[in-house]
Amino acid sequence: MTKSFAQLGFPGRLIAVEGLDGSGKSTQIYLLKRWLEQEGIKVFFSEWNSSELVKSATSKAKKRELLSPTTFSLIHATDFADRYERQLVPLLRAGYVVLCDRYAFTAFARDTVRGCPSNWVRGIYEFAALPDLTFFFRADLEISLNRILDGRPQLKYFEAGMDLRLSSDPYESFRIFQGRILEQYLAMAPEFGFQVIDANQPIEVQQNVVRDVVVNRISLMDFHKDSTLKFPRVS
Amino acid sequence: MASKTSRHPKKPFHFTRILVPKPTERRFYGHGIPGVDPTKLRGKLIVVEGCDGSGRSTQIQRMVDWLESSGHATVQTGLKRSTLVSEELNQAQNGNILSHTTMSLFYATDFADQLENVIFPGLKAGRIVLADRYIYTLMARDLARGTDMDWLRNLYGMALIPDAVFYLDVSAEQRLARNFAKDFALDYWESGMDLGLSREMFDSFLKYQAMVEREFRKLQKIYNFSVVDGNRSPEEIFNELRKRMEDVMKGNPRKPGTGHDI
Repeated sequence: MTKSFAQLGFPGRLIAVEGLDGSGKSTQIYLLKRWLEQEGIKVFFSEWNSSELVKSATSKAKKRELLSPTTFSLIHATDFADRYERQLVPLLRAGYVVLCDRYAFTAFARDTVRGCPSNWVRGIYEFAALPDLTFFFRADLEISLNRILDGRPQLKYFEAGMDLRLSSDPYESFRIFQGRILEQYLAMAPEFGFQVIDANQPIEVQQNVVRDVVVNRISLMDFHKDSTLKFPRVS
Repeated sequence: MASKTSRHPKKPFHFTRILVPKPTERRFYGHGIPGVDPTKLRGKLIVVEGCDGSGRSTQIQRMVDWLESSGHATVQTGLKRSTLVSEELNQAQNGNILSHTTMSLFYATDFADQLENVIFPGLKAGRIVLADRYIYTLMARDLARGTDMDWLRNLYGMALIPDAVFYLDVSAEQRLARNFAKDFALDYWESGMDLGLSREMFDSFLKYQAMVEREFRKLQKIYNFSVVDGNRSPEEIFNELRKRMEDVMKGNPRKPGTGHDI
Protein backbone atom coordinates (compact mmCIF):
# COMPACT_ATOMS: atom_id res chain seq x y z
CA MET A 1 0.00 0.00 0.00
CA THR A 2 1.88 3.02 -1.22
CA LYS A 3 -0.59 5.00 -3.33
CA SER A 4 -4.07 6.26 -2.60
CA PHE A 5 -7.04 5.81 -4.90
CA ALA A 6 -6.75 9.43 -6.00
CA GLN A 7 -3.07 8.90 -6.83
CA LEU A 8 -4.00 5.83 -8.86
CA GLY A 9 -6.47 7.85 -10.90
CA PHE A 10 -9.70 6.45 -9.47
CA PRO A 11 -12.58 8.90 -9.81
CA GLY A 12 -13.96 7.91 -6.36
CA ARG A 13 -12.52 8.54 -2.90
CA LEU A 14 -12.14 6.24 0.07
CA ILE A 15 -12.40 7.42 3.67
CA ALA A 16 -11.51 4.99 6.44
CA VAL A 17 -11.96 5.17 10.19
CA GLU A 18 -9.73 3.33 12.60
CA GLY A 19 -9.56 3.09 16.37
CA LEU A 20 -10.04 0.78 19.30
CA ASP A 21 -13.33 -0.96 20.01
CA GLY A 22 -15.31 1.60 21.98
CA SER A 23 -13.49 4.63 20.57
CA GLY A 24 -16.73 5.85 19.00
CA LYS A 25 -15.48 5.60 15.41
CA SER A 26 -18.56 3.75 14.15
CA THR A 27 -20.83 6.50 15.47
CA GLN A 28 -18.69 9.11 13.78
CA ILE A 29 -18.61 7.43 10.39
CA TYR A 30 -22.35 6.85 10.60
CA LEU A 31 -22.94 10.55 11.19
CA LEU A 32 -20.62 11.38 8.31
CA LYS A 33 -22.56 9.04 6.06
CA ARG A 34 -25.92 10.54 7.05
CA TRP A 35 -24.66 14.02 6.26
CA LEU A 36 -23.16 13.06 2.89
CA GLU A 37 -26.40 11.30 1.90
CA GLN A 38 -28.41 14.39 2.82
CA GLU A 39 -26.11 16.47 0.68
CA GLY A 40 -26.77 14.23 -2.32
CA ILE A 41 -23.32 12.70 -2.45
CA LYS A 42 -22.96 9.19 -3.89
CA VAL A 43 -21.84 7.36 -0.80
CA PHE A 44 -21.33 3.73 0.13
CA PHE A 45 -20.55 2.27 3.54
CA SER A 46 -18.57 -0.92 4.10
CA GLU A 47 -17.83 -2.66 7.34
CA TRP A 48 -14.90 -4.84 8.37
CA ASN A 49 -15.59 -8.58 8.33
CA SER A 50 -18.89 -8.40 6.50
CA SER A 51 -18.59 -10.31 3.24
CA GLU A 52 -21.32 -12.94 3.26
CA LEU A 53 -19.44 -16.04 2.26
CA VAL A 54 -16.36 -15.39 4.32
CA LYS A 55 -18.56 -14.43 7.26
CA SER A 56 -19.96 -17.94 7.39
CA ALA A 57 -16.46 -19.39 7.73
CA THR A 58 -15.36 -16.71 10.19
CA SER A 59 -18.31 -17.02 12.53
CA LYS A 60 -18.09 -20.80 12.52
CA ALA A 61 -14.38 -20.64 13.22
CA LYS A 62 -14.76 -18.06 15.94
CA LYS A 63 -17.50 -19.99 17.66
CA ARG A 64 -15.41 -23.12 17.72
CA GLU A 65 -12.22 -21.19 18.49
CA LEU A 66 -10.58 -22.85 15.50
CA LEU A 67 -8.38 -19.95 14.53
CA SER A 68 -4.65 -19.53 14.99
CA PRO A 69 -3.00 -16.11 14.53
CA THR A 70 -2.15 -17.13 10.96
CA THR A 71 -5.60 -18.33 9.93
CA PHE A 72 -7.20 -15.43 11.81
CA SER A 73 -5.11 -13.07 9.73
CA LEU A 74 -5.76 -14.88 6.45
CA ILE A 75 -9.49 -15.22 6.88
CA HIS A 76 -9.83 -11.51 7.54
CA ALA A 77 -7.64 -10.75 4.53
CA THR A 78 -9.96 -12.95 2.47
CA ASP A 79 -12.96 -11.01 3.71
CA PHE A 80 -11.25 -7.74 2.90
CA ALA A 81 -10.24 -8.93 -0.58
CA ASP A 82 -13.78 -10.03 -1.31
CA ARG A 83 -15.24 -6.63 -0.39
CA TYR A 84 -12.35 -4.85 -2.06
CA GLU A 85 -12.67 -6.58 -5.40
CA ARG A 86 -16.43 -6.85 -5.58
CA GLN A 87 -17.57 -3.60 -3.97
CA LEU A 88 -14.90 -1.05 -3.19
CA VAL A 89 -13.01 -1.04 -6.50
CA PRO A 90 -16.11 -1.03 -8.75
CA LEU A 91 -17.73 1.75 -6.70
CA LEU A 92 -14.54 3.80 -6.64
CA ARG A 93 -14.33 3.45 -10.39
CA ALA A 94 -17.91 4.64 -10.61
CA GLY A 95 -17.05 7.78 -8.65
CA TYR A 96 -18.44 6.99 -5.21
CA VAL A 97 -17.28 8.21 -1.84
CA VAL A 98 -16.69 4.94 -0.01
CA LEU A 99 -16.68 4.94 3.79
CA CYS A 100 -14.90 2.06 5.50
CA ASP A 101 -15.37 1.21 9.15
CA ARG A 102 -11.85 -0.22 9.58
CA TYR A 103 -9.37 -0.83 6.79
CA ALA A 104 -6.15 -2.84 6.46
CA PHE A 105 -4.64 -0.94 9.43
CA THR A 106 -6.89 -2.94 11.73
CA ALA A 107 -5.22 -6.09 10.44
CA PHE A 108 -1.76 -4.55 10.69
CA ALA A 109 -2.39 -3.73 14.36
CA ARG A 110 -4.25 -6.85 15.49
CA ASP A 111 -2.30 -9.47 13.58
CA THR A 112 1.02 -8.04 14.69
CA VAL A 113 -0.12 -8.09 18.31
CA ARG A 114 -1.10 -11.74 17.75
CA GLY A 115 2.48 -12.46 16.70
CA CYS A 116 2.26 -12.50 12.90
CA PRO A 117 5.33 -10.93 11.28
CA SER A 118 4.50 -7.36 10.37
CA ASN A 119 6.09 -7.59 6.90
CA TRP A 120 4.10 -10.69 6.10
CA VAL A 121 0.78 -9.07 7.02
CA ARG A 122 1.59 -5.88 5.15
CA GLY A 123 2.70 -7.86 2.12
CA ILE A 124 -0.63 -9.64 1.95
CA TYR A 125 -2.54 -6.35 1.80
CA GLU A 126 -0.20 -5.05 -0.89
CA PHE A 127 -2.96 -5.52 -3.51
CA ALA A 128 -4.99 -2.73 -1.88
CA ALA A 129 -4.57 1.02 -2.35
CA LEU A 130 -4.28 3.46 0.54
CA PRO A 131 -7.38 5.32 1.68
CA ASP A 132 -7.53 8.93 0.52
CA LEU A 133 -8.25 9.92 4.10
CA THR A 134 -7.91 7.91 7.31
CA PHE A 135 -9.32 9.11 10.61
CA PHE A 136 -7.89 7.66 13.77
CA PHE A 137 -10.11 8.04 16.83
CA ARG A 138 -7.80 8.30 19.74
CA ALA A 139 -9.48 7.77 23.09
CA ASP A 140 -7.87 7.08 26.42
CA LEU A 141 -7.57 3.37 26.89
CA GLU A 142 -9.72 3.47 30.04
CA ILE A 143 -12.50 5.35 28.27
CA SER A 144 -12.73 2.88 25.37
CA LEU A 145 -12.51 -0.04 27.74
CA ASN A 146 -15.31 1.31 29.90
CA ARG A 147 -17.53 1.98 26.89
CA ILE A 148 -17.23 -1.64 25.85
CA LEU A 149 -17.30 -3.16 29.30
CA ASP A 150 -20.30 -1.08 30.43
CA GLY A 151 -22.50 -1.90 27.50
CA ARG A 152 -21.61 -5.45 26.63
CA PRO A 153 -20.27 -7.37 29.55
CA GLN A 154 -20.03 -10.68 27.63
CA LEU A 155 -16.70 -10.43 25.84
CA LYS A 156 -16.17 -12.69 22.88
CA TYR A 157 -13.14 -14.99 22.85
CA PHE A 158 -11.13 -13.41 20.03
CA GLU A 159 -12.34 -9.91 20.75
CA ALA A 160 -10.87 -10.20 24.24
CA GLY A 161 -7.65 -11.61 22.77
CA MET A 162 -8.16 -14.75 24.85
CA ASP A 163 -6.28 -16.74 22.21
CA LEU A 164 -3.12 -14.90 23.27
CA ARG A 165 -3.31 -16.33 26.78
CA LEU A 166 -2.56 -12.95 28.28
CA SER A 167 -4.77 -13.62 31.26
CA SER A 168 -7.39 -16.19 32.21
CA ASP A 169 -9.74 -13.33 33.07
CA PRO A 170 -11.43 -12.10 29.87
CA TYR A 171 -11.64 -8.51 31.16
CA GLU A 172 -8.00 -8.38 32.10
CA SER A 173 -7.09 -10.03 28.79
CA PHE A 174 -9.15 -7.46 26.89
CA ARG A 175 -7.40 -4.60 28.68
CA ILE A 176 -3.92 -5.88 27.88
CA PHE A 177 -4.87 -6.75 24.30
CA GLN A 178 -6.44 -3.36 23.57
CA GLY A 179 -3.46 -1.60 25.13
CA ARG A 180 -1.11 -3.38 22.74
CA ILE A 181 -3.31 -2.59 19.75
CA LEU A 182 -3.31 1.07 20.75
CA GLU A 183 0.50 1.03 20.73
CA GLN A 184 0.46 -0.36 17.19
CA TYR A 185 -1.99 2.29 16.01
CA LEU A 186 0.06 5.08 17.50
CA ALA A 187 3.18 3.80 15.78
CA MET A 188 1.34 3.70 12.44
CA ALA A 189 -0.27 7.14 12.76
CA PRO A 190 2.65 9.21 11.40
CA GLU A 191 3.67 6.55 8.87
CA PHE A 192 0.28 6.50 7.15
CA GLY A 193 -0.70 10.09 7.87
CA PHE A 194 -3.70 9.32 10.06
CA GLN A 195 -5.94 12.27 10.79
CA VAL A 196 -6.03 11.93 14.57
CA ILE A 197 -9.28 12.88 16.28
CA ASP A 198 -9.51 13.35 20.03
CA ALA A 199 -12.18 10.78 20.83
CA ASN A 200 -12.50 11.87 24.45
CA GLN A 201 -14.50 14.90 23.31
CA PRO A 202 -18.29 15.12 22.87
CA ILE A 203 -19.72 13.45 19.77
CA GLU A 204 -20.71 16.76 18.17
CA VAL A 205 -17.27 18.29 18.66
CA GLN A 206 -15.66 15.31 16.94
CA GLN A 207 -18.17 15.32 14.09
CA ASN A 208 -17.46 19.00 13.47
CA VAL A 209 -13.79 18.21 13.05
CA VAL A 210 -14.56 15.22 10.83
CA ARG A 211 -16.80 17.19 8.46
CA ASP A 212 -14.35 20.04 8.41
CA VAL A 213 -11.47 17.77 7.40
CA VAL A 214 -13.59 16.02 4.75
CA VAL A 215 -14.63 19.33 3.19
CA ASN A 216 -11.03 20.50 3.09
CA ARG A 217 -9.52 17.31 1.77
CA ILE A 218 -12.15 16.13 -0.69
CA SER A 219 -13.83 18.18 -3.35
CA LEU A 220 -17.30 16.90 -2.50
CA MET A 221 -19.16 18.52 -5.40
CA ASP A 222 -17.40 16.13 -7.80
CA PHE A 223 -19.23 13.28 -6.12
CA HIS A 224 -22.67 14.76 -6.25
CA LYS A 225 -25.41 12.63 -7.82
CA ASP A 226 -26.02 15.32 -10.44
CA SER A 227 -22.41 15.84 -11.43
CA THR A 228 -21.67 14.49 -14.87
CA LEU A 229 -19.43 11.51 -14.53
CA LYS A 230 -16.47 10.78 -16.66
CA PHE A 231 -14.89 7.35 -16.51
CA PRO A 232 -11.16 7.89 -16.74
CA ARG A 233 -9.01 4.86 -17.34
CA VAL A 234 -7.40 3.40 -14.27
CA SER A 235 -3.95 1.97 -14.60
CA MET B 1 -0.47 -67.72 7.88
CA ALA B 2 -1.15 -70.66 10.17
CA SER B 3 -0.69 -73.19 7.37
CA LYS B 4 2.58 -71.56 6.34
CA THR B 5 4.10 -71.75 9.82
CA SER B 6 2.95 -75.33 10.24
CA ARG B 7 4.67 -76.26 6.98
CA HIS B 8 7.91 -74.56 8.12
CA PRO B 9 7.73 -74.97 11.85
CA LYS B 10 11.37 -74.25 12.52
CA LYS B 11 11.84 -71.19 10.34
CA PRO B 12 11.57 -68.02 12.48
CA PHE B 13 9.58 -65.10 11.14
CA HIS B 14 11.88 -62.39 9.77
CA PHE B 15 11.38 -58.79 8.94
CA THR B 16 13.65 -56.20 7.45
CA ARG B 17 14.92 -53.79 10.10
CA ILE B 18 12.91 -50.61 9.90
CA LEU B 19 15.01 -47.67 8.95
CA VAL B 20 14.69 -44.75 11.32
CA PRO B 21 14.53 -41.67 9.10
CA LYS B 22 17.56 -39.45 9.46
CA PRO B 23 16.70 -35.92 10.54
CA THR B 24 17.69 -33.10 8.24
CA GLU B 25 17.72 -29.34 8.59
CA ARG B 26 14.24 -27.80 8.73
CA ARG B 27 13.34 -24.36 7.49
CA PHE B 28 10.44 -22.24 6.39
CA TYR B 29 10.39 -20.48 3.04
CA GLY B 30 9.96 -17.15 4.78
CA HIS B 31 8.70 -15.92 8.13
CA GLY B 32 7.07 -19.23 8.94
CA ILE B 33 4.27 -19.54 11.47
CA PRO B 34 4.42 -17.64 14.76
CA GLY B 35 5.32 -19.85 17.67
CA VAL B 36 6.36 -22.89 15.62
CA ASP B 37 9.88 -24.18 16.13
CA PRO B 38 10.86 -25.98 12.92
CA THR B 39 13.51 -28.10 14.67
CA LYS B 40 10.73 -29.91 16.57
CA LEU B 41 9.22 -31.16 13.30
CA ARG B 42 10.99 -34.51 13.21
CA GLY B 43 9.06 -36.42 10.56
CA LYS B 44 9.37 -36.10 6.80
CA LEU B 45 7.24 -33.99 4.51
CA ILE B 46 6.87 -35.44 1.04
CA VAL B 47 4.90 -33.50 -1.54
CA VAL B 48 3.44 -34.92 -4.73
CA GLU B 49 2.70 -32.26 -7.31
CA GLY B 50 1.45 -32.39 -10.85
CA CYS B 51 -1.29 -31.02 -13.07
CA ASP B 52 -4.84 -32.34 -12.85
CA GLY B 53 -4.98 -35.90 -14.13
CA SER B 54 -1.28 -36.60 -13.60
CA GLY B 55 -1.99 -39.64 -11.41
CA ARG B 56 -1.09 -38.15 -8.05
CA SER B 57 -3.71 -39.92 -5.96
CA THR B 58 -2.87 -43.35 -7.42
CA GLN B 59 0.79 -42.89 -6.57
CA ILE B 60 0.10 -41.51 -3.11
CA GLN B 61 -1.98 -44.58 -2.30
CA ARG B 62 0.94 -46.79 -3.31
CA MET B 63 3.36 -44.66 -1.32
CA VAL B 64 1.20 -44.98 1.79
CA ASP B 65 0.98 -48.77 1.37
CA TRP B 66 4.70 -49.08 0.92
CA LEU B 67 5.63 -46.73 3.78
CA GLU B 68 3.25 -48.34 6.24
CA SER B 69 4.27 -51.88 5.39
CA SER B 70 7.88 -50.79 5.85
CA GLY B 71 7.00 -49.59 9.34
CA HIS B 72 6.51 -45.84 8.92
CA ALA B 73 3.46 -44.03 10.22
CA THR B 74 1.88 -41.71 7.67
CA VAL B 75 -0.52 -38.80 7.50
CA GLN B 76 -2.14 -37.56 4.33
CA THR B 77 -3.00 -34.01 3.55
CA GLY B 78 -4.12 -32.04 0.54
CA LEU B 79 -5.88 -28.94 -0.65
CA LYS B 80 -9.41 -27.99 0.30
CA ARG B 81 -9.53 -30.35 3.25
CA SER B 82 -9.63 -27.95 6.21
CA THR B 83 -12.61 -27.93 8.55
CA LEU B 84 -12.16 -24.19 8.63
CA VAL B 85 -13.06 -23.14 5.11
CA SER B 86 -13.34 -26.14 2.77
CA GLU B 87 -17.14 -26.01 2.83
CA GLU B 88 -17.16 -22.31 1.95
CA LEU B 89 -14.54 -22.86 -0.74
CA ASN B 90 -16.77 -25.42 -2.42
CA GLN B 91 -19.72 -23.04 -2.21
CA ALA B 92 -17.67 -20.27 -3.73
CA GLN B 93 -16.52 -22.51 -6.55
CA ASN B 94 -20.01 -23.70 -7.32
CA GLY B 95 -21.41 -20.21 -7.40
CA ASN B 96 -18.32 -18.79 -9.13
CA ILE B 97 -18.69 -15.60 -7.14
CA LEU B 98 -15.26 -14.79 -5.74
CA SER B 99 -12.65 -12.85 -7.61
CA HIS B 100 -8.99 -13.77 -7.91
CA THR B 101 -7.34 -12.28 -4.85
CA THR B 102 -10.21 -13.44 -2.67
CA MET B 103 -10.04 -16.98 -4.00
CA SER B 104 -6.29 -16.98 -3.61
CA LEU B 105 -6.49 -15.90 0.04
CA PHE B 106 -9.29 -18.34 0.72
CA TYR B 107 -7.08 -21.17 -0.50
CA ALA B 108 -4.19 -19.81 1.53
CA THR B 109 -6.40 -19.89 4.64
CA ASP B 110 -7.29 -23.49 3.90
CA PHE B 111 -3.63 -24.34 3.40
CA ALA B 112 -2.56 -22.61 6.64
CA ASP B 113 -5.22 -24.52 8.55
CA GLN B 114 -3.95 -27.85 7.19
CA LEU B 115 -0.37 -26.80 7.84
CA GLU B 116 -1.06 -26.06 11.50
CA ASN B 117 -3.52 -28.82 12.22
CA VAL B 118 -2.35 -31.74 10.11
CA ILE B 119 1.17 -31.23 8.80
CA PHE B 120 2.85 -29.83 11.94
CA PRO B 121 1.27 -32.29 14.40
CA GLY B 122 2.14 -35.16 12.03
CA LEU B 123 5.75 -34.08 11.73
CA LYS B 124 6.06 -33.42 15.46
CA ALA B 125 4.92 -36.98 16.08
CA GLY B 126 7.60 -38.20 13.68
CA ARG B 127 5.25 -39.30 10.92
CA ILE B 128 5.76 -39.20 7.19
CA VAL B 129 3.39 -36.56 5.89
CA LEU B 130 2.28 -37.08 2.29
CA ALA B 131 0.84 -33.97 0.72
CA ASP B 132 -1.32 -34.30 -2.37
CA ARG B 133 -0.26 -30.90 -3.74
CA TYR B 134 1.21 -28.04 -1.75
CA ILE B 135 1.78 -24.32 -2.22
CA TYR B 136 3.09 -24.86 -5.77
CA THR B 137 -0.30 -25.78 -7.27
CA LEU B 138 -1.83 -22.76 -5.57
CA MET B 139 0.96 -20.57 -6.88
CA ALA B 140 0.80 -21.97 -10.43
CA ARG B 141 -2.95 -21.36 -10.62
CA ASP B 142 -2.58 -17.82 -9.32
CA LEU B 143 0.37 -17.04 -11.58
CA ALA B 144 -1.68 -18.20 -14.58
CA ARG B 145 -4.24 -15.59 -13.47
CA GLY B 146 -1.67 -12.83 -13.33
CA THR B 147 -0.93 -12.71 -9.59
CA ASP B 148 2.36 -11.10 -8.62
CA MET B 149 5.11 -13.61 -7.75
CA ASP B 150 6.52 -11.50 -4.91
CA TRP B 151 3.09 -11.27 -3.35
CA LEU B 152 2.74 -15.04 -3.48
CA ARG B 153 6.23 -15.57 -2.15
CA ASN B 154 5.49 -13.40 0.87
CA LEU B 155 2.14 -15.08 1.45
CA TYR B 156 3.59 -18.59 1.31
CA GLY B 157 6.58 -17.63 3.41
CA MET B 158 4.50 -19.37 6.08
CA ALA B 159 5.11 -22.75 4.42
CA LEU B 160 7.65 -25.32 5.55
CA ILE B 161 10.26 -26.41 2.99
CA PRO B 162 9.41 -30.06 2.24
CA ASP B 163 11.96 -32.89 2.27
CA ALA B 164 11.03 -33.72 -1.29
CA VAL B 165 8.72 -32.46 -4.00
CA PHE B 166 7.91 -35.12 -6.59
CA TYR B 167 6.51 -33.57 -9.72
CA LEU B 168 4.62 -36.02 -11.91
CA ASP B 169 5.26 -34.86 -15.43
CA VAL B 170 2.53 -36.10 -17.74
CA SER B 171 1.76 -34.91 -21.26
CA ALA B 172 -1.39 -32.84 -21.76
CA GLU B 173 -2.86 -35.51 -24.07
CA GLN B 174 -2.49 -38.20 -21.42
CA ARG B 175 -4.02 -35.99 -18.75
CA LEU B 176 -6.95 -35.14 -20.97
CA ALA B 177 -7.54 -38.82 -21.67
CA ARG B 178 -7.44 -39.61 -17.93
CA ASN B 179 -9.84 -36.81 -17.11
CA PHE B 180 -12.37 -38.19 -19.57
CA ALA B 181 -11.83 -41.75 -18.47
CA LYS B 182 -12.58 -40.71 -14.87
CA ASP B 183 -15.50 -38.30 -15.17
CA PHE B 184 -16.53 -38.21 -18.84
CA ALA B 185 -16.60 -34.46 -18.33
CA LEU B 186 -14.30 -31.51 -17.81
CA ASP B 187 -14.36 -29.49 -14.61
CA TYR B 188 -15.17 -25.78 -14.81
CA TRP B 189 -12.15 -24.69 -12.75
CA GLU B 190 -9.71 -27.25 -14.14
CA SER B 191 -10.65 -25.87 -17.54
CA GLY B 192 -9.95 -22.30 -16.38
CA MET B 193 -13.38 -21.19 -17.60
CA ASP B 194 -13.19 -18.17 -15.26
CA LEU B 195 -10.42 -16.76 -17.46
CA GLY B 196 -12.55 -16.45 -20.57
CA LEU B 197 -9.92 -18.11 -22.76
CA SER B 198 -12.52 -19.75 -24.95
CA ARG B 199 -16.24 -20.30 -24.80
CA GLU B 200 -15.70 -23.93 -25.59
CA MET B 201 -14.66 -25.94 -22.58
CA PHE B 202 -12.40 -28.32 -24.49
CA ASP B 203 -10.35 -25.49 -26.01
CA SER B 204 -10.30 -23.67 -22.71
CA PHE B 205 -9.05 -26.79 -20.92
CA LEU B 206 -6.14 -27.17 -23.32
CA LYS B 207 -5.19 -23.50 -23.18
CA TYR B 208 -5.53 -23.22 -19.42
CA GLN B 209 -3.64 -26.43 -18.66
CA ALA B 210 -0.82 -25.26 -20.93
CA MET B 211 -0.67 -21.98 -19.01
CA VAL B 212 -0.56 -23.74 -15.64
CA GLU B 213 2.08 -26.12 -16.94
CA ARG B 214 4.21 -23.19 -18.06
CA GLU B 215 4.01 -21.74 -14.53
CA PHE B 216 4.87 -25.14 -13.07
CA ARG B 217 7.99 -25.25 -15.24
CA LYS B 218 9.12 -21.93 -13.80
CA LEU B 219 8.38 -23.07 -10.25
CA GLN B 220 10.16 -26.34 -10.92
CA LYS B 221 13.40 -24.42 -11.42
CA ILE B 222 12.89 -22.06 -8.50
CA TYR B 223 11.91 -24.77 -6.03
CA ASN B 224 13.99 -27.59 -7.50
CA PHE B 225 11.28 -30.21 -7.92
CA SER B 226 12.26 -33.82 -8.33
CA VAL B 227 10.67 -34.46 -11.74
CA VAL B 228 9.28 -37.93 -12.41
CA ASP B 229 8.30 -38.98 -15.91
CA GLY B 230 4.63 -39.81 -15.45
CA ASN B 231 4.00 -41.04 -18.99
CA ARG B 232 4.77 -44.60 -17.93
CA SER B 233 2.91 -47.43 -16.24
CA PRO B 234 1.92 -46.84 -12.60
CA GLU B 235 4.36 -49.60 -11.54
CA GLU B 236 7.31 -48.01 -13.29
CA ILE B 237 6.48 -44.61 -11.85
CA PHE B 238 6.12 -46.03 -8.36
CA ASN B 239 9.43 -47.90 -8.54
CA GLU B 240 11.17 -44.63 -9.23
CA LEU B 241 9.27 -42.82 -6.48
CA ARG B 242 10.19 -45.59 -4.04
CA LYS B 243 13.88 -45.20 -4.78
CA ARG B 244 13.66 -41.49 -4.28
CA MET B 245 11.72 -41.93 -1.05
CA GLU B 246 14.42 -44.23 0.25
CA ASP B 247 16.92 -41.43 -0.32
CA VAL B 248 14.70 -39.06 1.62
CA MET B 249 14.56 -41.50 4.55
CA LYS B 250 18.30 -41.83 4.57
CA GLY B 251 18.49 -38.10 4.94
CA ASN B 252 20.10 -37.35 1.61
CA PRO B 253 17.27 -35.92 -0.40
CA ARG B 254 17.63 -33.87 -3.50
CA LYS B 255 17.25 -30.58 -1.65
CA PRO B 256 14.18 -28.64 -2.65
CA GLY B 257 15.16 -25.05 -3.44
CA THR B 258 14.57 -22.34 -0.88
CA GLY B 259 12.57 -20.36 -3.39
CA HIS B 260 14.94 -17.43 -3.26
CA ASP B 261 17.49 -18.48 -5.83
CA ILE B 262 16.32 -16.98 -9.07
